[in-house]
Amino acid sequence: MREAAVVTSRPNAQRLSIADNEGILGTLFLLPAILYIVLLVGLPFVFAIAFSMADVSVGNTQLNFIGLDNFVNIVKTNQFRRSLFNTFFFTITSQIIMIILANILALVLSIDFRGKWIARFLIMLPWATPISLGTIGWLWLLDSKFSPIDWVLRAVHLLGPGTLLGPGLHMNYLGREELAMASVIAVQVWRMLPLTAVILMAGLTSIDQDLIDQAEVDGASFWRSLLQVKIPLILPIMNVALLFGIIYTVGDMTIVYVLTRGGPVYYTQILPTWAFFKGIEGGALGEGAATALFLFPILLAVAILMLRSSRRMEVT
Amino acid sequence: MAIIELKGLKKHFHAVKAVDGVDLKIDEGELLVILGPSGCGKTTLMRMIAGLEKPTAGDIYIAGERVTELPPRQRKLAMVFQSYALYPHMTVFNNIAFPLKAQGNLSKDEIRQKVEDAATMLGVHRLLDRKPRQLSGGERQRVALCRAMVKEPRVLLLDEPLSNLDAKLRATARDELQRFQRHLGITTIFVTHDQIEAMGMGDRIVVMNAGKVRQVGTPKEVYHESADTFVATFLGSPGMNLIDWGEFIVGFRPEQFIPKEVAGTGEAIQPFAFHIHRVEYLGADQLLYGEIAETAEDVITVARLPAALDIPITADRTYEFCVLQQHLRFFDKDTGLRIAPRPLGKEQTYA
Repeated sequence: MREAAVVTSRPNAQRLSIADNEGILGTLFLLPAILYIVLLVGLPFVFAIAFSMADVSVGNTQLNFIGLDNFVNIVKTNQFRRSLFNTFFFTITSQIIMIILANILALVLSIDFRGKWIARFLIMLPWATPISLGTIGWLWLLDSKFSPIDWVLRAVHLLGPGTLLGPGLHMNYLGREELAMASVIAVQVWRMLPLTAVILMAGLTSIDQDLIDQAEVDGASFWRSLLQVKIPLILPIMNVALLFGIIYTVGDMTIVYVLTRGGPVYYTQILPTWAFFKGIEGGALGEGAATALFLFPILLAVAILMLRSSRRMEVT
Repeated sequence: MAIIELKGLKKHFHAVKAVDGVDLKIDEGELLVILGPSGCGKTTLMRMIAGLEKPTAGDIYIAGERVTELPPRQRKLAMVFQSYALYPHMTVFNNIAFPLKAQGNLSKDEIRQKVEDAATMLGVHRLLDRKPRQLSGGERQRVALCRAMVKEPRVLLLDEPLSNLDAKLRATARDELQRFQRHLGITTIFVTHDQIEAMGMGDRIVVMNAGKVRQVGTPKEVYHESADTFVATFLGSPGMNLIDWGEFIVGFRPEQFIPKEVAGTGEAIQPFAFHIHRVEYLGADQLLYGEIAETAEDVITVARLPAALDIPITADRTYEFCVLQQHLRFFDKDTGLRIAPRPLGKEQTYA
């Protein structure tokens, strides 16, 4: 049954208050957000651009325009090139591992089982923990002498003289070139996994149940249903999750800074940490800003491309 | 021979008894309609047959084999959902080919051949390269049916497949679907809440309410020989008039409640004084709403007369109406079940 729309009209137009004026009200509500963006994102960004093209350091704060000299200078150094390579390696590897694990996790979490809410809660914890505190926890877990992981490995006879990982008694995770990189990647995956898994889970639960049922009736096995129905349908969402992951990974320095400070030597140095060491700790503000801004055009292009393809993949 | 047999089938969702003890046999080649109001458990019943819901109790047999625990893909059934559930990211061809690919024992050429044959049969071969979003409602329904039929299922399950079509298309689609089912002779279970669909298409109708089967029979049986007051009032629009007669309930259908002068000579009739409140003109018919002396004041009795019947009737007047004795139905007051005819008193023979 459809009911006819009832049209009501106010007999007496009452005095208009400010809440009736959508123009003023809208501006008022937007203002805090605009202020926040302008002061905390916009201004520093403009400063960074200005610094990157000026001969400015902690000792000399005058802005002398020197064009792209800072960019030319930093590209010439080995540390920078290694950091650039590391940034790509760190980002791509961690994103691949993360998206695979997140898919598995999202699938598991979208199944009904007892204690599902507590599993969801536990999985969200790494994301809810302040990043530096979580990373300090990992610093202890990966300690060169007192690592509990080493202790477990020794207890199950995987580490020590005459074993698979031996003969040393310590793995020294953060002190060896490959292990240090693996460690920062692992911690980054640990950190990003909850957000990605929750985004994918939302995607999975938003798939029309009829489609999943239909695939079952059509005779699809678990894998066929997953690979040919579910995953294609959440591709747009996976794309967005990946975009978040990339931006958080490329732009964040906390994990590397706390765990290895770019070391050993500069094997785990990435652009954000290098920009920090160079610009803040080293005082070369101009070159630091140039390093920080270096990836901006690439990131922007990646973001635009991914958002566009996300829209194209939208099928319903 | 029964191709599907349900024995004591139950499905409880916590306290809600969605399906509460259903026994049913479905014969090979018949079109069985499951009819009931929304929430009566008809879709749950069908999903259990498909294997998408696990019964709380009871068993399902397909072709004599117990399949209660088997997953959907091992039951060799096909189902068309109300939403048609076409995979939105696949072309029509890939949608139809999906069940064949899932079988895993057919070559690419065989699949292409089967898809094209099925598409030709249902008139969708021109659409094979399109995506579902580029199709009209009617085309989507045909594609969904095509995908269901391509794997030659033992039974076709249809969950309100016409309710997403607009009213005009629905009549054609009903006719098409029935001819298609007759042509292939495939056993079909059709779930609907629309009694016109059910009456028009079903070989047999299963009327359900509150998780229970109230009656199983041909459209004529369930309409004219309704087993209880629920079936009697659910079928027909408006449903049967029920009158509390003290010890029991008397019922008659609106179209059988006629002016006295219309009854044929020599017929045994039951007269009623019918005070009419409102006349509703519906084109072919007119509905008369009013009350009869034998009922409580707020009980509305309805008569449905062909508009062609040339008897002037206006509201707010009382007329002599009657029901042929053979059209009266009797129901038990407590259980609502049909009982044998009882004398009402005042019987007359129209002279």
